[in-house]
Amino acid sequence: MFNWRKVTGWLLLVLSTAAIAEQYNLGKPASEKVIAGWDIDVRPDGLGLPKGSGSVEEGEALYDQKCANCHGSFGEGEGRWPKLAGGEDTLRDERPEKTVGSYWPYASTLWDYIHRAMPFNAPQSLATDEVYAITAYVLNLNELVDGEFVLTQDNLATIEMPNKNGFYVDNRPDVANPRCMKNCKDPESIKVIATIAGITPTDHFKHDGNDGVAYQESAVGVTATPEVVKTYQNACKMCHDTGLNDAPKTGDVAAWQKRLNQGKPAIYNNALKGINGMPAKGGRTDLSDEMVKSIVDYMLELSE
Amino acid sequence: MNWFSSTEQQQLLKTLERESEKLHFTERRHFLKNALVMAGSGALALHGGQALAGNQNLPPNVPQWTGKLGDGVLTNPYGQPSKYENQTIRRTVPWLTADAISSISMTPLHSLKGIITPNGLVFERYHAGVPTINPDEHRLIIHGLVDRPLIFTMDDLRRFPSVSEIKFLECPANGGMEWKGPQMEALQFTHGMISCCEWSGVRLSTLLDEAGVKPQGKWILAEGADGAAMARSIPIEKALDDTIVVYAQNGEALRPEQGYPLRLVNPGWEGNTSIKWLRRLEVGDKPWHMREETSKYTDLMPDGRAQQFSFVQECNSVITSPSPELPFKGGKGWYEIEGLAWSGRGKIKAVDISFDGGINWQQAPLKGLVLSKCLTRFSTMINWHGDPMLLQSRAVDETGYVQPTLKQLRAQRGGNSIYHKNAIHTWKVNANGSVQNVQLA
Ligand code: HEC
Ligand code: HEC
Repeated sequence: MFNWRKVTGWLLLVLSTAAIAEQYNLGKPASEKVIAGWDIDVRPDGLGLPKGSGSVEEGEALYDQKCANCHGSFGEGEGRWPKLAGGEDTLRDERPEKTVGSYWPYASTLWDYIHRAMPFNAPQSLATDEVYAITAYVLNLNELVDGEFVLTQDNLATIEMPNKNGFYVDNRPDVANPRCMKNCKDPESIKVIATIAGITPTDHFKHDGNDGVAYQESAVGVTATPEVVKTYQNACKMCHDTGLNDAPKTGDVAAWQKRLNQGKPAIYNNALKGINGMPAKGGRTDLSDEMVKSIVDYMLELSE
Repeated sequence: MNWFSSTEQQQLLKTLERESEKLHFTERRHFLKNALVMAGSGALALHGGQALAGNQNLPPNVPQWTGKLGDGVLTNPYGQPSKYENQTIRRTVPWLTADAISSISMTPLHSLKGIITPNGLVFERYHAGVPTINPDEHRLIIHGLVDRPLIFTMDDLRRFPSVSEIKFLECPANGGMEWKGPQMEALQFTHGMISCCEWSGVRLSTLLDEAGVKPQGKWILAEGADGAAMARSIPIEKALDDTIVVYAQNGEALRPEQGYPLRLVNPGWEGNTSIKWLRRLEVGDKPWHMREETSKYTDLMPDGRAQQFSFVQECNSVITSPSPELPFKGGKGWYEIEGLAWSGRGKIKAVDISFDGGINWQQAPLKGLVLSKCLTRFSTMINWHGDPMLLQSRAVDETGYVQPTLKQLRAQRGGNSIYHKNAIHTWKVNANGSVQNVQLA
């Protein structure tokens, strides 16, 4: 006889696999404590700000120590590092200067960004009150708060940034090009503008091409291999081009001359083992001793 | 200075006459004399094929490699390209950024065929270098306006139903160096901030269902585990639509440069929203206005205001061959003109090609797969008579949007918006076969 029971059993089985499961019960509940360590975002209305405070005055000292090497004492930006201040009323100019003061719509973004990503060489190393203080100081550099100001979790959301109304949500497509196929324009209107020659790396496809490096910063006549130069740029430049943590600047002849008095072996040794603000191998323990020594030679060559 | 030699001018004239037979104007010659701004020199040394006559590896001789045994299996446990392909590499323009740790490198589009970008050639963009993450110690947390805050291991994530989709990823700054004028002498630099991979992972909607988004949940903050803790706000509509939480690319685990072990992919949207090294997703009721959606990745307009949350990568295309890196080396004769088109709004519907700087256009066939939000190939054959050309491609997507001219874009957005330059691109093909990046004013 036909076994109805069996058929119903099959039907049930089919249903439970085919029905799209709302929940797979994978993963574990995330406790508040676990979340708290990673939940670092801050919103314009102040949601997410931890309790704390910091003054412009405290911020100045911290900024000079941890930020000024790259961003300049007044936020003007050393070399090609980002500017943090200035540029008011330049957004319509030929060369707009987009800074915290001239462009950023909310002060919360500054707090959030410094806290999550700065200083560049040591992200998420600042204590909460230090972030308040440095944020206050960067706002002060932009003349948005006075020298007596103390920033706290309660007043941050009340700070009005000059460009807060400067943004609107993307309204593209904003251009309509009709799909013309024939005689689409007056040939007389065609003007050909050529590429600026010599600033793009082209030596990989042109006999007379260049590597595009000369245009960057000239390091003419060095004997280091490209590998050494590249590793310097990835592992050492951040401190040694900027003088961060009082690192001797590459190219500063006097600073290196003093150090050379101790002899080259001692210099190598300090680079390998670390000394004061200089981490062993610049923090890149994956580098071979040979590589580090070659980089030191390169740095010395640029500093003689 | 003369762009074109007088013979070149004559040849260009001939091309234009041929291409624009139906033009109703009389002074074509006059046009040519005046229309082309004569500037710069066209001198270009091409890598010509060297004469190999008498080479012992060419027929009728038996080549060296035939007369001996090659390497056995597992000589390269992870295979590498031929040593003769050592110029197929990512490159950068060194002066673009202050430091290699927050910088960009570009994909060598001229060296690639088809639509898939090999994993080692996918363009790179980081804000704090590539972190080295142990996958066993990596976690993804979903919290905020959800019923069940959850924490996942990589093993957990691999148990969910997975999807695999081929999607392009493009940096919104692709081509952005050229808003004000042509600067880059190579395709790799004008268009190389794009890649296209098969991405595998779990739909974000699946994970959000697992956590149970509360009705007030309208935005999602995605955050990376890198030193930049790169973070972007993403509207819930996108998150529930086609966003993928990805752990594999082109069949293998993500590369560290692309977010190993876990990243987001927001198909069709600017690359920086596809957060790499993904560690956290928070559901909220408003966007967060992170640095990467205020200070950066906003488009400054001529009136001094800026477009924000400009997510979509609009329809775009470029001819990849010929290009500055792939000139017409062999003199007159047949060549394949090939290129790539893509749109963040869906499929490519058509691509048109112009040989005369956009006076006349003809439709070029699409080839291979034509998928949504995916690189699409187009190609056509030409019998090149050695005439100079102003070569362009213009893509149309399934919404009917037609790729605009640079003039149209500039008229609308000025020259300071940095991002989202999807204008029709022009290559000038010279009589000697060399190719130069130019703009038409
Ligand atoms: C070693 C150099 C260096 C140091 C030191 C440094 N920064 Fe930065 N800073 C950078 C770089 C590089 C960027 C851009 C990062 C990127 O590309 O995403 C940046 C970006 C910023 C920005 C965003 C700028 C913008 O317009 O978007 C702010 C704000 C900032 N830094 C603040 C600080 C503060 C505050 C400190 C000290 C606590 C600090 N930085 C220390 C290199 C540095
Ligand atoms: C985090 C910042 C930082 C990085 C990264 C860094 N350095 Fe240094 N370096 C320093 C500082 C600070 C000093 C000065 C230490 C002192 O003498 O007090 C220094 C000193 C040195 C000296 C001089 C040692 C001496 O005996 O006087 C050498 C050589 C050197 N570094 C090489 C390197 C090389 C090579 C790298 C990259 C592999 C590197 N550094 C990366 C901060 C850094």
